[in-house]
Amino acid sequence: MQALLRSARFIDGINTAIGRSVVWLILAATLISAGNALIRYTLDISSNAWLELQWYLFSAVFLLAAPYTLLKNEMVRIDVVAGHLSRRTQVWIDVVGTLLFLLPMALLIAVLSWPGFVQALERQEVSSNAGGLMVWPARALIPLGFALLALQGVSELIKRVAFLAGRGPDPGAQGREKTAEELLAQDIARGREDAAP
Amino acid sequence: MTAFLLANIAPLMFGTLVLTLLLGYPVAFSLAAVGLGFGLLGIELGLLSPALFQALPERVWGVMSNETLLAIPFFTFMGLVLERSGMAEDLLDTIGQLFGPVRGGLAFAVILVGALLAATTGVVAASVISMGLISLPIMLRYGYDRRLASGVIAASGTLAQIIPPSLVLIIMADQLGRSVGDLYAGAFIPGLVLTGLYLGFVGLVTLIRPDRAPALPLAARGIREPDGGSGIPSLLALLGLAVATALAFEWLYYEAGAPLDAKIVVTTAAGMGLAFALAVVNRLLGLRLLSRIAEQVTFVLIPPLALVFLVLGTIFLGVATPTEGGAMGATGALIMALARRRLSLPLLRQAMESTAKLSAFVLFILIGARVFSLTFYGVNGHLWVEHLLAGLPGGELGFLIVVNLLVFLLAFFLDFFELAFIIVPLLGPVADKLGIDLVWFGILLAINMQTSFMHPPFGFALFYLRSVAPARAYLDKLTGRTMEPVTTGQIYWGAIPFVGIQVLMVALVIAFPQMVMVYQGTAPTVDPSQVEISLPPVQAPAAAPADDLGAAFGAGAPSADPKAGEGSKDQPPGDLTDLFK
Repeated sequence: MQALLRSARFIDGINTAIGRSVVWLILAATLISAGNALIRYTLDISSNAWLELQWYLFSAVFLLAAPYTLLKNEMVRIDVVAGHLSRRTQVWIDVVGTLLFLLPMALLIAVLSWPGFVQALERQEVSSNAGGLMVWPARALIPLGFALLALQGVSELIKRVAFLAGRGPDPGAQGREKTAEELLAQDIARGREDAAP
Repeated sequence: MTAFLLANIAPLMFGTLVLTLLLGYPVAFSLAAVGLGFGLLGIELGLLSPALFQALPERVWGVMSNETLLAIPFFTFMGLVLERSGMAEDLLDTIGQLFGPVRGGLAFAVILVGALLAATTGVVAASVISMGLISLPIMLRYGYDRRLASGVIAASGTLAQIIPPSLVLIIMADQLGRSVGDLYAGAFIPGLVLTGLYLGFVGLVTLIRPDRAPALPLAARGIREPDGGSGIPSLLALLGLAVATALAFEWLYYEAGAPLDAKIVVTTAAGMGLAFALAVVNRLLGLRLLSRIAEQVTFVLIPPLALVFLVLGTIFLGVATPTEGGAMGATGALIMALARRRLSLPLLRQAMESTAKLSAFVLFILIGARVFSLTFYGVNGHLWVEHLLAGLPGGELGFLIVVNLLVFLLAFFLDFFELAFIIVPLLGPVADKLGIDLVWFGILLAINMQTSFMHPPFGFALFYLRSVAPARAYLDKLTGRTMEPVTTGQIYWGAIPFVGIQVLMVALVIAFPQMVMVYQGTAPTVDPSQVEISLPPVQAPAAAPADDLGAAFGAGAPSADPKAGEGSKDQPPGDLTDLFK
């Protein structure tokens, strides 16, 4: 069990590092998009490469940050009913869900998307838009993203089984950081304190 | 058994989805799993081609290369940067001081600031938290009814859902195959009318029960003239001047029949520009032509209004696509936060990380929905839904009433993303066949779904308000009095009149489609297909039926508006516009 938990921590580490790095691409895509619009309007120059680059970057963000989002337990759930179940039952649902829902889906898409990437790479496919980009980097994101997601699924599974076996902490509470909302509230409250007469 | 399965596979699949979602496992994966499971069953039964799943990578690819969806991170990023820039605090403080001495004034201020924040940040949680922390304590201090105070705050926060630029409208546009620009233009007037209804409700309360929203004593206003005067006449004069400029501008530059939304945005910018220039000159030269409050109000209003112009103005004028408008807004927000020295590296990181996580969960729900639909359409589930809904009595009106009732009820349990990704694509094609304008339909549903934030006990706006409203008795620092906490019951009761207003608004939009239909007269928005050569069509999945959206357009179904047929508003159903095909 300890070895398994160690590998779970290792997977968490990889996906955290990847997830936290790709967020910078949001800033890049934002500046490229705004710059592209300004240049098109002022100089009347437009380039398909810059347009395509924006969605390449965004795809990298959401596909590669998805495992991190799963790790942080921020994939949206409907907890109208599930919220009333006991913690153990919830964890059991997660175990079954990971085995039956997440892993088959992620592995299937990762495997099925691989040939598309290989083909794009071998044939050096270029987007059909005039002046478009090479296709393979974007094609590579699908198998990569879903493989990492499956990997994160394995880590979540290990942590939950460990919890059910009484060998690990509650995975729902893992790495509990303040949410963006809490930070905002804290920020405003602090500003108020200073301003109070 | 097999015969039963064959005949009822679509309803079984939908029922399984509902039960699976209720288990509480992440929505994105549950959707995909039900799609894959029933896909296997369908192949086993011979209903679907064994090559069905080969289409999966193309479905993901389709989501990736969909440029409309790029607006999601841009607008989210903009909102997250803005919410920490201190703009909301400044607005609430200043506008609150301005209106406070009027009966119900603080509530009016909350609604107006809520609308302004909606047009810029577009984040419900941020608006509710800011108002809950800043305005609620002041309202409590001066004896506002607790239910009214919390209801106004929660409801005004949700205006972010309907007033452009909102995420809801982007996703709605994508799901219904209409342009985001059209939905923004169409939502503009309903958003303003809804704000007006909120204001009207508070006005009504102050008439019937003045004690529930008392005026603040004049002493509570901090910004005063050196001689003790309020400085209001000066502000009114400046306002008059700004309005006159706006009207003159309109008279000079626009012919009759020019698009209303572009006109409102541009003339407002002209009037505000003048007021801002005056305020700057006044301050720099020390002229003292303006009172303090006039100067203060001008300076706080400029950043949000400039952003509104930067985003909506460029979209409505056709300078930028909605996606680019979002990017420009985000860049503007970054510059503004930098200028206010509010932008630090940790803050930037946090905004980007929140944007990335939101993007990931939204886009994965979409991918899940597309996996689900691959099978659902393969087993003709769309025909089943169409059959259920098209046979309703009462034609178009009957359909609209039933659908809105359904969405209203579902909004108690589901939040907006699930509704938009699961329910809307099933309803859209049926509405289209009935000859309902999809922009109008989308805005109706968006107003309706706004209630999902206000429905007790699960509404998110109520949840966020609860998290910042005082839950225990506390000492008011200014008055030294002990204040009672705000109970959860009061928050729930406070939301109910606003849910009622929302229902009224849905009825109004059904009764007066013209409010939305003005979108057809708008200036040509930038059509992404003209900006670039369009993407190669995504391969149609083997099992998917022929595109019936296109056929419905050709049928020339009657529409509520005589102009509906003309113009280029009916985008051809592109590769991704009809997501659930």
